[in-house]
Amino acid sequence: MGKTLRFDSPSFGRRLKGMLGVDFYRLFHTPMYYIFLAIAAIIPAMILGTSGIPDPQTGVAATPLYTNVWHIIAAEEPLYVVSDIAEYANMDMVFIFGGIMVSIFIGHDYKSGYVKQLFTTHPKKQDYMMSKTITCAFAMACMCVTYLIGAVAAGLLTGGSFQVDPLALLCAVLGKMIMSLGWASLYTFLNIIFRKYFGVSIASSFFFGTGILIIGAAAIVGNSAWLNVFLYGSSVYACLSSTPVTVLVCLVCSVVWALVYNVLGTRILSKCDVY
Amino acid sequence: MNAIEIKGLSKSFRGLYALDGLDMTVPVGAIYGFIGENGSGKSTTEKLICGHLVPDGGQIRLFGRPHTDPGVRVRVGALIENAGCFPGSSVYQNLMMQAINLGLEHPDEEIGRVLKIVRMEEHAQLRFKKCSLGMKQRIGIAMALLGDPALLILDEPINGLDTDGMRIMREILVQITQELGCTVLISSHLLGELEKIATHYGIIRQGKMIMELTAQELEGRARVFVSLKTKDMQGAEAALRRRYRDVRMEEDLLRVYDVDSVEDIVDHLMKSGHVVSQIEKNKIGLEEYYIELMSKKEGQ
Repeated sequence: MGKTLRFDSPSFGRRLKGMLGVDFYRLFHTPMYYIFLAIAAIIPAMILGTSGIPDPQTGVAATPLYTNVWHIIAAEEPLYVVSDIAEYANMDMVFIFGGIMVSIFIGHDYKSGYVKQLFTTHPKKQDYMMSKTITCAFAMACMCVTYLIGAVAAGLLTGGSFQVDPLALLCAVLGKMIMSLGWASLYTFLNIIFRKYFGVSIASSFFFGTGILIIGAAAIVGNSAWLNVFLYGSSVYACLSSTPVTVLVCLVCSVVWALVYNVLGTRILSKCDVY
Repeated sequence: MNAIEIKGLSKSFRGLYALDGLDMTVPVGAIYGFIGENGSGKSTTEKLICGHLVPDGGQIRLFGRPHTDPGVRVRVGALIENAGCFPGSSVYQNLMMQAINLGLEHPDEEIGRVLKIVRMEEHAQLRFKKCSLGMKQRIGIAMALLGDPALLILDEPINGLDTDGMRIMREILVQITQELGCTVLISSHLLGELEKIATHYGIIRQGKMIMELTAQELEGRARVFVSLKTKDMQGAEAALRRRYRDVRMEEDLLRVYDVDSVEDIVDHLMKSGHVVSQIEKNKIGLEEYYIELMSKKEGQ
């Protein structure tokens, strides 16, 4: 029996659809995704729930970390220079845990050898980069939502203040969710570079996710608007004084970095051996 | 048109050449047995064809197109080293992911079809990590068979399997090669197994193709020999050497090469006072041919 030898090149759209289909199927069929969603919800609940608990020996209640529940989402003003944990612990933490999730997600592609199956067939390296970025951005945006739910639920239980400008809050949450795209592209890029070293890729994602480089730079240059050029800067910029312009800044920053990291990641994948 | 056409392919790892100007031609419809010792460059060649590695130089064309062309890649299936499945996912989920990637219209039907070929219908819901090595290899073949591949690349699919696993795998390979009609590139150390299915052979050594031949050519080059046993083997050997050019003592048997007539040998030995207790006419198989070829190359 002979084979029909027709070779129709799949379009970019078909290739990307296939890759996205695989990644979303995997995302929804692995417990890891749901575990990280739960972690994102538990973190704000834990911080709000344990903040201000009375000392068991003295019985004196500690000063709560936040006077307003929404401060666990974002600060009142963009604070690049961090002076205490309360200024740091907000929705941006999702991007740290998101980085670990991306590392596990991409790392398993290589660890299991599935990446061989993918690249044996038609997906191009750019399809792989784009698909991972989009899927992981979606997962991180979902983590932002569960973080918000966790914060609200804990706020209601602890009886904190919910006073806020609704538009500013909406713009802040939206801005941070949009930043998921940029962060996902950074983590995908890092995991492509360190694809042979699972531990290093997790460590590097954690390191960049903490925004320590920008915090360090801010300690030198102060709370400069120039820091919004960077992913951490724009994420911090999405605060409780946000306006639609903030969302636009986040969108531009996120998309530009996503493009940069996708181009760089595609180049690396194309020039180097898959594994 | 050739299914695979490779010219001057080279690949090095940290300055050491794994492939050094390899040429290779696999005709459409061939079952190409790719033979070579460990580290000769078989797996590297297969990984390069699959696009897993980036070549240092040379050209790979599949069905007349560059090997990176998505149009041709979509019709390639491979089992390289391992199945490449997620251990925590079920057999079905792993196959479904590949079916989605390939954009198959009826993924469930297609998964059922390939599971039937590899005799794994009963184990679709089993987690991949719970499968035995033989089952994992069969799942790897099922993954490669999804979506009507025109070219199948199988790297040592029988390696590490127990006797029963080897038997099942052999039957599956025979079925695939006979019924599916796709071009197959298969590497294996088990030359006896390969000989049963291959139509073409390529012999690689130190990153270079030293010989490509068809099964018919191998048949033509295969030397005929007569193997025999007598009570006094050394005396018989000396007697045979006086008349025949190539006489060897191999595996407790006397072998007389390039002789067709068993009667002539028996007659000659009788006249020399030797009684033949066992005699058989044979033909050199792929394994012996390969060993002989390698010995000659090592001697050069």
